[in-house]
Amino acid sequence: MTPTAAPPPESNAPSLRTIAVATTVALVVALVLLVTVILPAEYGIDPIGTGRALGLSALADTGQGAISQADAELMTDAGKFVLGPFEWLEYKYRLEEGAGMLFAWQATDTVRYDFHGEPDAGPEYAESFESQDGSERRGTFTAPFSGIHGWYWQNRTTHEVTVTIKTAGFYTATHEFFDGGTSTRTLGVE
Amino acid sequence: MGRRSWTILAAGGVVWALLSSDVVAAHPMSEENATFVQGLVGTAVGPFMYLGAKHMVTGYDHLLFLVGVIFFLYRLQDVVLYASLFTLGHSITLLAGVIGGVQANAHLVDAIIGLSVVYKGFENIWGFERVFGFRPSPKAAVLIFGLFHGLGLATKLQEFALSKDGLITNIVSFNVGVEMGQMLALAGVVVFLTYWRTRVSFFRHALATNTVLMAAGFVLAGYQLTGYVLDR
Repeated sequence: MTPTAAPPPESNAPSLRTIAVATTVALVVALVLLVTVILPAEYGIDPIGTGRALGLSALADTGQGAISQADAELMTDAGKFVLGPFEWLEYKYRLEEGAGMLFAWQATDTVRYDFHGEPDAGPEYAESFESQDGSERRGTFTAPFSGIHGWYWQNRTTHEVTVTIKTAGFYTATHEFFDGGTSTRTLGVE
Repeated sequence: MGRRSWTILAAGGVVWALLSSDVVAAHPMSEENATFVQGLVGTAVGPFMYLGAKHMVTGYDHLLFLVGVIFFLYRLQDVVLYASLFTLGHSITLLAGVIGGVQANAHLVDAIIGLSVVYKGFENIWGFERVFGFRPSPKAAVLIFGLFHGLGLATKLQEFALSKDGLITNIVSFNVGVEMGQMLALAGVVVFLTYWRTRVSFFRHALATNTVLMAAGFVLAGYQLTGYVLDR
């Protein structure tokens, strides 16, 4: 690239009037854009009705997405499991896609855990959401697909560890898997 | 391209950027990136560098400011000098902010960043000389506004529950990524401005371009101040 031209000398600077006009134009353009388009779209503030006219007000409906309706009954569940040295256990809930669950579990010592889901569609396939060592975890879970979702806990110590869990959510059954067996419990439905 | 089409192109670009609500919705990280950052434990040099670079390259607020800063810088060494001052400024507040847990109001910081764009536009049309009779040191201005840009970066990073494990390494990685992104963005802007300066239209439209820059800065500031007042 060739060197560029020298900067314009200051004598070429715009006049005071030009600067005032330019700044005012900038400010007015900004205000017009804010009032007519941006505030209606972003915040739902629509002083002269342009947001409604242009259909922008819908963008500002921030409430959307905060609530998702559930079809199932609200269930609560609690469990307590004693794991001997190097024993493992899986405890899962049947959740439909989009169904939510609040959970909190804790263990008396560090366990290896894996929070995962097994979709109905793919047998023998599990998607892991979180897999690490820890002694407690709590949060909100929204099932990304229909299937059974829950925890695998493994005691990697040489003494007994007790895991306790409390949940509330729109699940319909629990599944327990342990070394040598499984058990399924249907909840709530009479 | 004729000079008229340049103006239309520049104005159109800014208007497009401001109108697409997705772009104007502040400048946060994407949801997937945020989930990743929050779930992270330990050091992650690569991902944080990438996020830093991405934040800079896709951050129109930082980019507009840089356009304003180098608009009348003709020599490469000046570009490097000013870019270094900006880097120094935002690195100080980014590192100190995250490590010291300094959290500013994101709306106010972003409003100041918007006004920094207005400032450069006004400076570029000789506004300070003509209106106030003197021009405050452009180097000091870049350094000081750099501090605010860094505070913005720090505030945005801290909106996530960052793991203490490997924090310093991750923040430094983010910072290095920001610089890489900035160099990439600067290279593009320098090539564009260098070419444009060979055309007569550059001088003819310097006033118009900087007016557009000021308008964009006012929009950013107004948008963020409204968010601050409404607290959302």
